[in-house]
Amino acid sequence: MHVLVCEDDELIASGIVAGLTAQGLTVEHVATASSARAMLKVAEFDVMVLDLGLPDEDGLKLLQQLRHSGLEIPVLILTARDSVTDRVDGLQAGADDYLLKPFDLRELAARLHTLLRRVAGRSVNLIEHGRLTYDPSSRETMLGGQPVDLSRREQSLLQALLHNRGRVLSTEQLKDSVYGFNDELESNALNVHIHHLRRKLGNGIVETVRGLGYRLGPADGAEELKK
Amino acid sequence: MSLRLRLSLTLGAAFALIWALAAAWMLSDLRNQMMFSLDQRLVASARMVAGLMEQLPPLPSKGEGTHFSAEQLNIPGGMACQVSSLRGEILARSHTDPQQTLEAEKMGFHDQMIDGAPWRSFTLARGDVRITTADRQIEREALNMSILLAASVPVGVALLGCLCLLWLGIGQGLAPLNRMRDALMRRSADSLEPLQIQPLPSELQPLLDTQNQLFQRIGKTIERERRLTGDAAHELRSPLTAIKTHLQVARMTDGAARDQSLARAEEGADRLHRTLEQLLLLARVEGSLSFDDGVQCSAEQVAKLAIQDAASGDRQRIKFQLPPKISHAPVQMPAVLSIAALRNLLDNALRHTPGDGAVELSLETTGNRVQFVVRDHGPGIAEDDLQHLTQRFWRNGQSTGCGLGLAIVQAIVQRCGCTLHFDSRPDGLRVELTMPLQPV
Repeated sequence: MHVLVCEDDELIASGIVAGLTAQGLTVEHVATASSARAMLKVAEFDVMVLDLGLPDEDGLKLLQQLRHSGLEIPVLILTARDSVTDRVDGLQAGADDYLLKPFDLRELAARLHTLLRRVAGRSVNLIEHGRLTYDPSSRETMLGGQPVDLSRREQSLLQALLHNRGRVLSTEQLKDSVYGFNDELESNALNVHIHHLRRKLGNGIVETVRGLGYRLGPADGAEELKK
Repeated sequence: MSLRLRLSLTLGAAFALIWALAAAWMLSDLRNQMMFSLDQRLVASARMVAGLMEQLPPLPSKGEGTHFSAEQLNIPGGMACQVSSLRGEILARSHTDPQQTLEAEKMGFHDQMIDGAPWRSFTLARGDVRITTADRQIEREALNMSILLAASVPVGVALLGCLCLLWLGIGQGLAPLNRMRDALMRRSADSLEPLQIQPLPSELQPLLDTQNQLFQRIGKTIERERRLTGDAAHELRSPLTAIKTHLQVARMTDGAARDQSLARAEEGADRLHRTLEQLLLLARVEGSLSFDDGVQCSAEQVAKLAIQDAASGDRQRIKFQLPPKISHAPVQMPAVLSIAALRNLLDNALRHTPGDGAVELSLETTGNRVQFVVRDHGPGIAEDDLQHLTQRFWRNGQSTGCGLGLAIVQAIVQRCGCTLHFDSRPDGLRVELTMPLQPV
């Protein structure tokens, strides 16, 4: 899951980035509204964590403006202001969830997963695909009831594909989702991880669409190489 | 008791009293006039009888059986006439009743009892006869009573009408007050909306205006306090969040990442500590606590102690210029506060001077005041933002301060009779702080 964290307090931001990364999410951090806008233009994100007290612009205004210009990803507001008016204003401006500082990192991660789940229209947190099940919060992958051991990158890759069922994801989009921005990337790293995923879950899990990118294979694709 | 009832009772009682006195006066006059008129009637009747007597042949000395009958003469009841000789013999009587003869010894008016009833009589001597006319007091009183009654009914009705009008008029006059009462009773106890009462007389308008202004002021104060509490909560929660987040990260990771998280959690704790200290200091400066601990510092000592306290690691960045001639009089305010004020200015200057740039501190004593000038080489501050500088929790851009430093300076300035002046220049901010010195 590719998360954009917009938080001006450097100390808090570094904690969120480290904590979410440790829980298997891919996180980018920006400190101002303008850099958040720039970041949203150049990369694909699944969810955004927004602090309201940004130095260059009010967080609510930024959110309103982003929603107005067609931003669809779920947004979770982080703030230290706890009045009911603040919360109502936040939700009215287009936020999907609201978390009060100080918060629990595990709760933050769980809420982000729930937001994604809601966007995908699922009512339970478990993602099913044929015989494959994936639990985003515990990051457990099961194939036919048997646990499968996946690395962090492989999990991110699988998650990105599962969240975008039926859509073709370009190599760039997948890279954003899996590696984020700051990692130095070997040119064939994505191919290596796709190869590993196919080896562990079956060839049919990822379909290559020539010249465009990749997409999640059909639901019975996992059946094929279940051995 | 309602205002309307009290006013109506007071005015009504006064009204009724004055009317009653006037009526009593009038009625007693009327009664006197009437008695006088009835007396005049007796006199006139006696004279008339005397005039008639003169035209008659002399009466026989013993006039038995020559009585006229009152019924024949048709004289109204209650009046009697009697003619008697100087010796007391009755020559003529108008009535058989009363049986007893009228007392005719004394001339003029005379009240007498005849057959147990009071009579009023008038006796006139003419020649050798006495003529006495009389009427019954009871008849007089009955007449008097009917006149009193006739006169007092209109007075009573008028008085009642007046009282009714008084009640209605007072109610009408007090209606704006009632409207105000109703409006006040309708609003909830913690409502701060302005009262809307129309129309209102000119006497009450200032009251309403003052009341509404008061509501407005209270509303603003509450709003400011609410914002301030919100700000304080924000300032305390942010470092707390940093600490908690990094501690949780430390639990999730190990090795170098863990050490780094712990170090950052500590950084957060330091920030929380600073913020708390500043909040407490501000609360104490704004409160009524005494800071006087008996320690007296000269301006030079204040400067040196403030430099020591300000950003301990960066002490060499502060360039301190001490003039050759300086007053050694102690500053006339608690040493803690003078040092805290100057330290906050220095902290602020250090924070806004990029890199290792220097901050200049100079001081000068003139008369019984000392002026500290703190000069930084930061970006300065926009003209519009100068007014926000001493506002609590206001920060310039991405400053790492807690937003209380200059608010504390301002509070100290107000408490201790100092002055504070900001002068923003393109190459940095210049702050002048003057403190009073004790007279030597």
